Amino acid sequence: MSDTLGTDTADGRQSQGTPGAGDAATSVPPAPPRAAAHRRGRARMRLEIAVLSAPAIITFLAFVIFPVALAAYYGFYQWKGYGEPTDWVGLNNYKLILTDPAFHDVLWHNGLILVLSLVIQGPLAIVLALLLNQKIRGRSTIRVLIFVPYIISEVIVGTGWSLMLQSNGAGNDLLHRIGLGSLEADWIADPDLAIWTLMAIITWKYIGFAVILMLAGLQSIPDEIFEAAQIDGASYWQIQRRITLPLLGPTIRIWAFLSIIGSLQLFDLVYIIWGQYVSGTAGTSTMAIYMLAQGRNAGNYGYGSAVAVVMFVISLIVALIYQRFVLRRDLRGAVTEGTV
Amino acid sequence: MMRKTRCATAAAIGLCIALAAAGCAGGGDSSSSDGQGTVTLWTNAMEGRGAQYWKDAAKAYHALHPDVAIKIQSVQNEDLDGKLQNALNSNSAPGIFLQRGGGKMQAMVNAGQIQALELADTDKANVGEAALEGVSIDGKVYAMPLDTQPEGIYYSEDLFKKAGITSAPTTMDELKDAVAKLKAIKVAPIAVGAKDAWPAAHWYYNFALRECSQESTQEAAKSLTFDDPCWTSAGEDLAELLETEPFQKGFLTATSQQGAGSSAGMIANHKAAMELMGNWDPGVIADLTPDKKPLPDLGWFPFPAVPGGKGDPTAIMGGAGGYSLSKNAPKEALGFLQFVVTKEQQEAYAEAFDTIPVNKEAQGVVTEPYNISALQAFNKAAYSMQFLDTVYGQNVGNAMNIAVVNLMAGKGSATDIAKDVKAAAEKG
Repeated sequence: MSDTLGTDTADGRQSQGTPGAGDAATSVPPAPPRAAAHRRGRARMRLEIAVLSAPAIITFLAFVIFPVALAAYYGFYQWKGYGEPTDWVGLNNYKLILTDPAFHDVLWHNGLILVLSLVIQGPLAIVLALLLNQKIRGRSTIRVLIFVPYIISEVIVGTGWSLMLQSNGAGNDLLHRIGLGSLEADWIADPDLAIWTLMAIITWKYIGFAVILMLAGLQSIPDEIFEAAQIDGASYWQIQRRITLPLLGPTIRIWAFLSIIGSLQLFDLVYIIWGQYVSGTAGTSTMAIYMLAQGRNAGNYGYGSAVAVVMFVISLIVALIYQRFVLRRDLRGAVTEGTV
Repeated sequence: MMRKTRCATAAAIGLCIALAAAGCAGGGDSSSSDGQGTVTLWTNAMEGRGAQYWKDAAKAYHALHPDVAIKIQSVQNEDLDGKLQNALNSNSAPGIFLQRGGGKMQAMVNAGQIQALELADTDKANVGEAALEGVSIDGKVYAMPLDTQPEGIYYSEDLFKKAGITSAPTTMDELKDAVAKLKAIKVAPIAVGAKDAWPAAHWYYNFALRECSQESTQEAAKSLTFDDPCWTSAGEDLAELLETEPFQKGFLTATSQQGAGSSAGMIANHKAAMELMGNWDPGVIADLTPDKKPLPDLGWFPFPAVPGGKGDPTAIMGGAGGYSLSKNAPKEALGFLQFVVTKEQQEAYAEAFDTIPVNKEAQGVVTEPYNISALQAFNKAAYSMQFLDTVYGQNVGNAMNIAVVNLMAGKGSATDIAKDVKAAAEKG
């Protein structure tokens, strides 16, 4: 293009390289001048958007969408992972997954972890956030202490806890030394305890993220509202229940959403602490663990891909339902129309 | 619980892995494409004498055949299978690579990714029929075995003395007796790393080796049905042994080879007296002793006899791997494999890896008492059987391992093992 802005000439016609070109050649009546400029601006903008977002879109397609599509494709085959898949089995993998008692187990574990995460972490995070929102001594230290576990990588956390919680590990040794030897237990392998051990570690690890979110939510509530309520004679508890909680609503709902998705995809902590075999007997195995054990370790890559697809579909359905019914109000207006 | 950025991180990691894989696959390419007589070999020997052996062998071969260069690449043991799979599927596999055997090898053969070895009579004499049988499919040899890996129980002679056990147990009752005596001196009688599943499953395999006749184990490999009652009896034997609580406290969450708390670590530090393992164990134990030296009092005895079992009491279990040639490997690659099973090379190999070479003429260099015991048992064995998860393929083997862990955790019963294995056979 000769000029970058497509400026209009004084007579309202767009300047062009060759005067008059296009007038006779096309039977289309020339568009009203403003619209033409408008249209060209719009085309340019589209091009800019395309150029600027292309790298991100290509990366996303290559590393997210393509593997998902590939998994869906492999899921229809019985395939050992060597050479090209040849044994088409249709929906048989899916039939086997949905009728496998071991898969029912992991679904139940995932559901349990999901519910317990919400029930334990939610209230705890709100209480901690309210506490840390006050002017108390050592506030920043407490904040750091609560937030640090969230920063540490899952692998490190898992290895540390797994060493401490072994039956001959530091945890039991400490109990023994402080005279609580009767409380010593096999924290990891005991099926009655394992899920609670897992929940304790999950809570310890992820509560920091929830607290930070809630704190940010609290900060965004204007002080005038609290002042007004106080002047009206509302007690502390009334203020929290009728003002803070409702106004924290959007934050809580978003946090719950992230927590749900995270619970459905939980893998690393369980894998590091329990491993893929003992987690099954201890009752902490998740869908992702099942996928690894039944897919890669059994050499059934087709079956494993089908498990991945099932996980994807479950997460998608949960996410869609949640967005449709829970986040609808919060998201309204968040997605803006692209206007020029 | 988790943030959305996790996806971005995962994508970035995925990108790195993809690049790394591409990078290493590129490294393994030279053998198949240039035809200049460069052959790449992938081994899992990372350092120390093992890796040195391969470098020396490559040098020695190059001296004999100046037109051939063997390029040795060490790949971390746990990474090897995945990298190999990528390389084979993308047609950029190294000419020679470590072969685990069994179901994995079968899958490679089915996909036409490795070649059968055309062995001369001298090679067959060097390796021996028994070892070749373990790496043959339909009468064709697909890997060159280098060592025999008889499995048995490694034990600490000092702890046995201390507990007043005068001779190595030869029957189950004697083993249970030894367990009781070892408990009295406050050490764990037997260490097992059940977190990895397979070390625990090997107890079941060995019971099956004693309970099932050779015919029925071979039959099961073909039909993948486990209806013979011996499979359940083997599970019952294991359950019976479990009642004596022979394993260390917390064995379900113990690993087999990592750190002092692992089963090998407990042997290395005299915290446990026995461990059932293949012949790589002494090396692993040596790395975990306080002074990083081999355990001086390490002994070996074969898996005890089980009364009433249909299997031969001398039968022994062992791994059978070796080195395979990818489909595009030049003929020089085969030459190198033929070279490493000759007497001098096998002697050097056995010394570097503390193992028992397949070449009978080289077996004179075996000096460690545990290897001598293992070698005697191996040469006396009526037949040898590969690890069941290798024989029955990854899919069934994996299900068997899981079922055994369930049994040990008190979640499943002996009858469940055959049932779970049957269910798995449907999946693959």
